[in-house]
Amino acid sequence: MHANVKGFVAFALVPAFFFLGAFYVYPFVFNLDISATDLDIFQLRDGGRWIGLENYIELLTSPGFRRVMFNTVIWLTVVGVTVRIVLGLALAFLLDSRTIRAWRLSTLTRILLIVPWATPPVVAIVVWRWILDPRVGAANQFLMWLGFIDQPIPFLADANWVWPSIILIITWNTLPLVTLTFMASLQSLPGELVEAAEIDGASRTQLLRYIYLPHLKPAIIVMAMMSTFWTFNNFIYVWLTTGAGPGTFTNVMATEIYIKGFIDGRLGYSAAAGVVMAMIMTAFGMIYLRYVAARALVEEEDR
Amino acid sequence: MRHQLGRRGLVAGAALAVGLLAAPALQAQSPVTITFRFNDPEAPQMRAALDEFEKANPSIKVNMQRISWADMQQQYLREAATGTAPDVVHISFVQPRSFGGGKALRPLDDLIARDGAQMGVKGWNDFFARDLAEGPDGKTYAVPWTTDTFTMMYNTELFEQAGIKEFPTTWAGLRDASRQIHQRTGKAGWGFPAGSCATPSIWFYMNYYFWSDGPGWIDQDASGKFVMGVTPEKATEALEYYNSYITEGHNPRSNLSVCLWGAPELVEGMLTGNTAMASMPDTVAIEILTKWDQRNPGKKRPFMTAPHPGGKNGSVTNFGGRMLGISPNAKNVEQAWALVKFLTKPDPTFKHYNNYTPAQRAAIDSRAWDPELAGYPKQLANSRSWGPYATGPVPIPFMWNAVGRAAGSVFIGEKTAQAAGRELHDTIARELARLQQR
Repeated sequence: MHANVKGFVAFALVPAFFFLGAFYVYPFVFNLDISATDLDIFQLRDGGRWIGLENYIELLTSPGFRRVMFNTVIWLTVVGVTVRIVLGLALAFLLDSRTIRAWRLSTLTRILLIVPWATPPVVAIVVWRWILDPRVGAANQFLMWLGFIDQPIPFLADANWVWPSIILIITWNTLPLVTLTFMASLQSLPGELVEAAEIDGASRTQLLRYIYLPHLKPAIIVMAMMSTFWTFNNFIYVWLTTGAGPGTFTNVMATEIYIKGFIDGRLGYSAAAGVVMAMIMTAFGMIYLRYVAARALVEEEDR
Repeated sequence: MRHQLGRRGLVAGAALAVGLLAAPALQAQSPVTITFRFNDPEAPQMRAALDEFEKANPSIKVNMQRISWADMQQQYLREAATGTAPDVVHISFVQPRSFGGGKALRPLDDLIARDGAQMGVKGWNDFFARDLAEGPDGKTYAVPWTTDTFTMMYNTELFEQAGIKEFPTTWAGLRDASRQIHQRTGKAGWGFPAGSCATPSIWFYMNYYFWSDGPGWIDQDASGKFVMGVTPEKATEALEYYNSYITEGHNPRSNLSVCLWGAPELVEGMLTGNTAMASMPDTVAIEILTKWDQRNPGKKRPFMTAPHPGGKNGSVTNFGGRMLGISPNAKNVEQAWALVKFLTKPDPTFKHYNNYTPAQRAAIDSRAWDPELAGYPKQLANSRSWGPYATGPVPIPFMWNAVGRAAGSVFIGEKTAQAAGRELHDTIARELARLQQR
C-alpha cells in the first residue's frame, strides 16, 4: 500500500480508536482500579483505599452469590433465552405460513408483531405490573371471572409466580426481534428446495429437520448469542418489575451490582461484581464463538 | 464619506461605552437564580411557598428541581462529588452525618452563629434533632425542617363490629385484635405493607418491636463502642411475629406486593373499610381523612389513631423527618441560606406545605391536631431519634435494605424465620465489623 494511503487510513481510524479508548478502554480500566478499593458512595470526594482482591474474595465467597448466579444464569438467561428462541421460531413459522398469506394477514400480523418491540421496556413493565396487580390487575380479574381462582394471586410477590411473570414480560417485549430475524431467514430459503423435498415425499417433520432448521441455524446461533448477552447483563426488567424481590428471590448480577453500589454504598465491591460479570460474559462469548458458532458457520459454508 | 463614517463610528462607540458602563448596574438588578432539590410529592404546594419567597426577595429566583426519595441519595452524592449539586437540598434526618462526613454538604456553623436567633419560630435552639444535623466532625451540616412519626390508625366501626373496645397496648394484643377483626368481619386486620424494596416499611415496624423491649440493631456499650443490640433469637422472634399476620391470613397476601407505608393500595384499603388498621406518618393519615371527607361529605369519620403497642420500654417509634442542606459547590451561599431560613418559618411556608409539621418545639406545641389524629402527639412524646443508627458506622440504608430482604424471604416462605433471622443478624454484624476495621 502506498505510504500516503496508509497514512490516510491511519488518520481515518483515529476517531474510531478515540471513541473506543474513551468509552470502552478507559471506563473498563477505571472500573478495574475501583474494584480493588473500598470506595464508598459517601466518600466519593476522598476516594477509596487500596484493598487488593478483598472485594473479589468477599463476592465469590458470600452466601448470596450462588443464589444470584443461579438466578442470572438459569432463570434469567437459560430459561429466558430458550423461551424466546423457541417461541420466536414457532411464531416465525406461523407468520410465514401459507395460511397467513392466503388469508392476506401478512401485513397485519407483522404490524401487530412490531407493537411490543416498539414499546419502550419501562412502559412495557409499568403496563404489565398493572396487568399483574393482585387488586386491580386485569389478569387476576379475568382469572377470577373465569372461575380458575377464587383469591387474587400476587404474581410479582409470590415465589411460584414471580420468575414466570418476569420471563413473560421480557418475552413479550423482546420476542418480535427474534421472530422477525427468523422470518427474514425463512424468506431467504429458496422455494424450489422445499418444493423438491415435498415432491420427494418429505414429511413436515423431515422438512423441519432437514430443510428449515439447517437453513435457520446461523440465525438461531447469532440470535441466541446476542440474546444471551442482552439478557445476562439486563438490569431494567428485574429491577423495575420486582426490585430484586420478594426478599432476594429474583436478585440477579445486575441488580446485585446496583444494590451494593447505590443502596449499600459500596462502589468498590460493586465494581468488582461488574468485572466478574464482564469476565463471565467474555468467557461465554469466546467459548460460544470458538466451539458453537464457528463450527456451525463452517458447516454452513461447506454445504 | 469619511466624515459620515466617523460620525457613525462615534455614535456606535458612544452606545458601546454606555452599554459597558451600564452593564454592571443591569447585572446588579438581574436576579440571582438558585436551585432547590425537593423530593416530596407536594410540588405545587412547595412552588406556592417558593413564589412567596421570590416575592419577598425579588433579587432571588428559585428553580425547583424534583427527584424521588428513592433516587435522591445516589443522584445528589454523584453531583456533589463533581461540583454540580443543587444549591439547596432536601434530605432526610439520617443523611446529614454521612453526607457531611463525605464533604457532600457545606458546614453551616458560621451562618447559624450569625443568624441563629432569627431562625424558625424561636431561634436555632428551639429546633430539635440538631444532633442528627451534625457530621462526625461535630459541625452542623443541615437545618431540621419537618418532623413526623408513625402512628397506628384504625377503623372504629370495624373495631366495634369485632367487639374490641380499646386499641391494644401490647404486641400480642395487637395480633389478637387483628385476628379477631378478620374472623368476625372478614376484613383485613393490620394490613401492613409486606413487600420487598430498598426502603420497605417493615424496617420501621421491626425497629418498633425491638425498641419497645430493648436495644435496636446497633447499640453503644458503656465504653461508647458500637455493638450489635439485637440477637439472632430476637430477630427470629420479630420475623415470626410479623410473618404470623400473613400466615394466619389477617394481613392479605396481596400486601406482599406493597412496599411503602403510603401506597395507594393501603390508603384505599383504609378508605373502603377493607383494612382495619395501618401504621403511617401523619402526612398519610391526613391524606386518608381528606379523601374520606371528599367522598363522604358530612359523614362522621370512622377513624382514630393510637400509639403503637409497647413492651417494657413502652411504645417507641422513631422521630422521622427532613432537613435542608446547602451543597459544597453552591456559589450563591447567602441566597441559598436566605431560602433555608425562609422555609423554616411556619408562616408562610407551612400554610402551603400544610401536611407537614415543622421540626421546632414551638411549632409542634402550637399545632392543632384533628381529634382523629390525637394519637400523633402522644406517639411523638414517645419517639426517639435513630441514635446509634445515625451516629454508628453502618449506614441506615444498608440495614434498611437487608431487613426488608430478610423479611421478604420469610413472608414468601423461601426461608424460615430462624434461618433469615440468623443470616440478617450476621449480615449486619459483618458490616459493623468491616466498617469498624477501616
